[in-house]
Amino acid sequence: MPYTLTVNGSERSLESRDPDQPLLYVLRNALGFTGPKFGCGLGQCGACTVIADGSPIRSCQLPISAAQGMKITTIEGLGTIEKPHPVQAAFIEEAAAQCGYCTNGMVMTSAALLAQNPKPSVEEVKQALAGNLCRCGTHDRVLRAVMRASGRQKT
Amino acid sequence: MAIYLRPASLKAALSTLAQASGKGRSAHPLTVLAGGTDIYPTRAGKQAWLESFPRDFLDITQIPQLRGIRRDGRAILIGAATTWTDIVAARLPPAFDALKQAALQIGGLQIQNRGTLGGNIVNASPAADGVPPLLALDAEVDIASVRGERSVPLASFIRGNRQTGLARDELVVAIRLPGHRASSRSLFLKLGARSHLVISIVSVAMLLDQGADGTIADIRITVGAASAVPTRLAALEAELRGERLDASLIERVTPGLFSVLTPLDDVRASSHYRRAAARILVRRALANFMEPQVEEVAA
Amino acid sequence: MAPYIGTATSRIDGIAKVTGAAKYAAEFNVPGLLHGSVVTSTIAKGRITRLDTSAAMRVKGVIDVLTHENRPPMADNDQAYKDDVAPPGSPFRPLYDDKIKFNLQPIALVVAETSEVARFAASLVTVEYEEVAHVTDIFAARDAAVPIKPPASPVGFTPPKARGQPNRALARAAVRHEGEYYVPIEHHNPMELYGATVIHESDGKLTVYDKTQGVQNVQRYLCGVFGMKPEGVRVLSPFVGGAFGSGLRPQFEAVLAVLAARALERSVRVVLTRPQMYALGYRPAMVQRIALGADADGTLDAIAHDAVTATSQFEEYFRQETGWSGLLYKCANAKYEHKLARLDLPTSCDMRAPSAPTALFALESAMDELAVALELDPLELRLRCYSERDQNHDRPFSSKALRECYRQGAEAFGWNKRNGAPRSMRDGSELVGWGMATGIWEALQMPITVRIALTANGSAEVACATSDIGTGTYTIMAQVAADMLGLPLENISIKLGDSTLPNSPVEGGSWIAASVSNGIATTVAAVRNELLELAKKVPNSPLANAAPDEVKLADGMIVDERDGSRSVSIADAMRHGGVERIEQEETTNPTADDSRARNTHSAVFAEVKIDEEIGVIRVTRVVSAIAGGRVLNTKTASSQILGSVVWGIGMALHEETLIDHKLGRVMNANIAEYHVPVNADVHDIKVIFVHEHDDSNPLGVKGLGEIGIIGVAPAIANAVYHATGKRVRDLPITLDKLHP
Repeated sequence: MPYTLTVNGSERSLESRDPDQPLLYVLRNALGFTGPKFGCGLGQCGACTVIADGSPIRSCQLPISAAQGMKITTIEGLGTIEKPHPVQAAFIEEAAAQCGYCTNGMVMTSAALLAQNPKPSVEEVKQALAGNLCRCGTHDRVLRAVMRASGRQKT
Repeated sequence: MAIYLRPASLKAALSTLAQASGKGRSAHPLTVLAGGTDIYPTRAGKQAWLESFPRDFLDITQIPQLRGIRRDGRAILIGAATTWTDIVAARLPPAFDALKQAALQIGGLQIQNRGTLGGNIVNASPAADGVPPLLALDAEVDIASVRGERSVPLASFIRGNRQTGLARDELVVAIRLPGHRASSRSLFLKLGARSHLVISIVSVAMLLDQGADGTIADIRITVGAASAVPTRLAALEAELRGERLDASLIERVTPGLFSVLTPLDDVRASSHYRRAAARILVRRALANFMEPQVEEVAA
Repeated sequence: MAPYIGTATSRIDGIAKVTGAAKYAAEFNVPGLLHGSVVTSTIAKGRITRLDTSAAMRVKGVIDVLTHENRPPMADNDQAYKDDVAPPGSPFRPLYDDKIKFNLQPIALVVAETSEVARFAASLVTVEYEEVAHVTDIFAARDAAVPIKPPASPVGFTPPKARGQPNRALARAAVRHEGEYYVPIEHHNPMELYGATVIHESDGKLTVYDKTQGVQNVQRYLCGVFGMKPEGVRVLSPFVGGAFGSGLRPQFEAVLAVLAARALERSVRVVLTRPQMYALGYRPAMVQRIALGADADGTLDAIAHDAVTATSQFEEYFRQETGWSGLLYKCANAKYEHKLARLDLPTSCDMRAPSAPTALFALESAMDELAVALELDPLELRLRCYSERDQNHDRPFSSKALRECYRQGAEAFGWNKRNGAPRSMRDGSELVGWGMATGIWEALQMPITVRIALTANGSAEVACATSDIGTGTYTIMAQVAADMLGLPLENISIKLGDSTLPNSPVEGGSWIAASVSNGIATTVAAVRNELLELAKKVPNSPLANAAPDEVKLADGMIVDERDGSRSVSIADAMRHGGVERIEQEETTNPTADDSRARNTHSAVFAEVKIDEEIGVIRVTRVVSAIAGGRVLNTKTASSQILGSVVWGIGMALHEETLIDHKLGRVMNANIAEYHVPVNADVHDIKVIFVHEHDDSNPLGVKGLGEIGIIGVAPAIANAVYHATGKRVRDLPITLDKLHP
């Protein structure tokens, strides 16, 4: 069956014979957006986070059929190597990316948070990132990066 | 090939369900899907152990009337496909604070943006965080099928661990919360092995209405994850109703009033611990209502 | 130009990681790529009697289902399956025969056009087994555990020789403590799932993108298993989404993907599921008995450390579990025993600082208990037992600034404000506990080869087949090369994670920073020598009489160190020499000097706040003071320690692989139920690097990847005791363990 999605501002068409296929696999395999990461496929880690119609969601739980018509932003569409998004720049400066595999989920969730709440408190950032696991132990670094991107410093 | 249906109207959804669950040639069991935050992880887990898993879905997220919160007379109706984020953002009376607090502790933000209230109750996990606040609100479940509509108390709708009274051709349309006094307050406390992303070891929802004379006009206490279904502590409620809300009440929360709970011994905690923790959380919730301005209680 | 070494340089791969440009093993797409889904055993031990793949084969889009019955040939001898870091024994062979050795063992690979089809079809494979009784419980296998005896290999991991008269010393000790400590099986759970993309090139050669800590190890292993020539297989791993030791040995996703690619002559990707990650190695469960004897003044006189650790039925994995005890503290009498319990599980393996966090949980808990028995401050006890020598091998340390770690760590933490009595400190309704522990790890260096290509425009490519598993290898390599070549950081490009590059050991054991940085130094010296020869050919060269060790490279110049005004620019030297590019490749072998012990040390101080009624523990503060030689990059080094402390918190409070021993199956084989700390569980962590000069290698680097985790769990457990008066000797300290 044909599907049409809007990814990072452009309309993308694809064929899938699995209407229940999670958006994550469509993005990574069919469309080549490997920024969203495959950390579990179980909705447990948050590494696959994309922004769908303005809200961060787990793309491993969103069927392609339900993603039809949504505006999807992946990390590839957030900023560029030449002009990174403030959250991306802050993640580099604060060394918040270690192995880099949870980074997509952390960055996308933080970017969505700051879009809605430009000056969050430390507690609000922790609450927003509650659904994102990290195994390298970058938690403190990530928190500092989000506060930096918001123009505040973590005390 | 898998079936994936996404009707735009309730009528279409119900007739599809009726056909799918009938005995005719078009019969084919369909799994009702909304946010997918339980169904997708569950099926990925089943795949891992070579168990069969659902592939044929009826997606109800395109049906406008299933999402959103509205008033129906004195009652408040929450559409079955309303997300946790919708609930957190909604203007609701203080009696719904427990539900909002629970919403903020379900998974993480990404789950809250997709997961739905209807899904949480139909899933019928003993540890479902949405259920204790709803039971404290005397929630009813509005159910529809081509055969008609019915409304049943949530307390009888959930029949056991992962068991509900929903027939195969029926759909949960909304959660109906009967009228509440504006003075009712509520609180949800969750105890887990870590701060977030954790299945509750025990949870407590408490709704309290204090009369002008300082006595407890109404109190409802529900404990989650400590029995096959979240359980109201009716005996404790009766013990406290009509009493003055002061520190002496804490001592009245005695272990015997928790005998209705049947907690499991499992990897998350012992039954002994669960029962004890339930009592401590109830005492803390009660104490919290004695402090006029304090909102947060650590648990 | 200011030096880069020692500064807080941001990762050079940071931009790739935050924009999604960094590609991991399962992210290389080629046209016609097939997807493999692994079918795994649902029993722990026995034999497959029937494997029916017909239903899976009928699914549209399925290309093939490979099993032990229809697979193409694989090697039939153990030697072929031995990788560079294989323990003694008979390595597991994926899809080899009908024998089941552990639950979740791969038994079939469904190959299909899409990952969804492969996954669905895999669920249609039906299997019948003949089951045999299994043992997965270390306590059930404990009595049958077999002592590790020298001269078992690998040499160096057998327990050290006993010294003095430990039995007599224990018997006469004024104060004794004896206790049994338990650490459960833990799994690495890197965020990235194990995956391999095998590209079947038009000439029949294979390009394998694999998640690994050692591309050359995987390449050699695949050549052994499939009888392939080295030039026919190239293994790449440019980015690794965490591994923590699980990627030191080649894993079965690579074998299965190569098997399918060879059988079908197509490109194939295999990605494991999260539950299947529990079929890889794990930190072995460990049951330990420690006996300490001390004089009344708080000096240790005897240590006895017995350990039982878990391994599989087919390989003997173990590390230096017991030897740390007699190494860390001054003690005239010591003895050790280490036994292996064989379980019907995969072989245990290295996991972040293998053996030390578990061994030191026991030792440092026991030391805390001894301090209580002696009525001595736990830090004071450590100072009284401070060892200036490696008594296991009777030799000095190359450097040991542990005393300074204790001092600076205690000061930053405010340890002197501690009231020693348990339950004596409170914050509101919460009990407060302060605990501390010591850490020790090895400072190793391995042979490594580095190639540097310098072009006349002043840019350099530095190449080595090492990996960057998130530690910051790309960045420190660039820093070291930039400083030594005298070039700006942005002129350096790093190539790693490719088996065709110059030789590197696997990335583990904290040895890569020391190995590769000194390796770069060696190769830079060769580059410098070649440049000097060219510079001498410049007319009236100011360096005409300079010897190689009298010049350095700085600011794009070859400079006489005795007289900075005498210099030739790299560009001039190369132009006059008529070369556009110079390339040098050198191998660096660490000095074989066994006369000194090389170790890193740490002092860890932890504060917990405990809601005693319900047993909720928060680790509110940790100070980790590290003596790890020279720090190449304070930013990436701090990240290593911060992350290690989070691991220590997880080990202390959360992590445990739970096995249903009746089924022999992991019950929490996912990252919702295998708990690691989340953002809200991590509070204030302070990292201190104390100054430590070490001359074991020219750069004075010791390595920092592992030292940070060691000592954290016991510091927390000791703080829990201080807060509550309850001693928990089995990890993790879950809520109900503090409950009356």
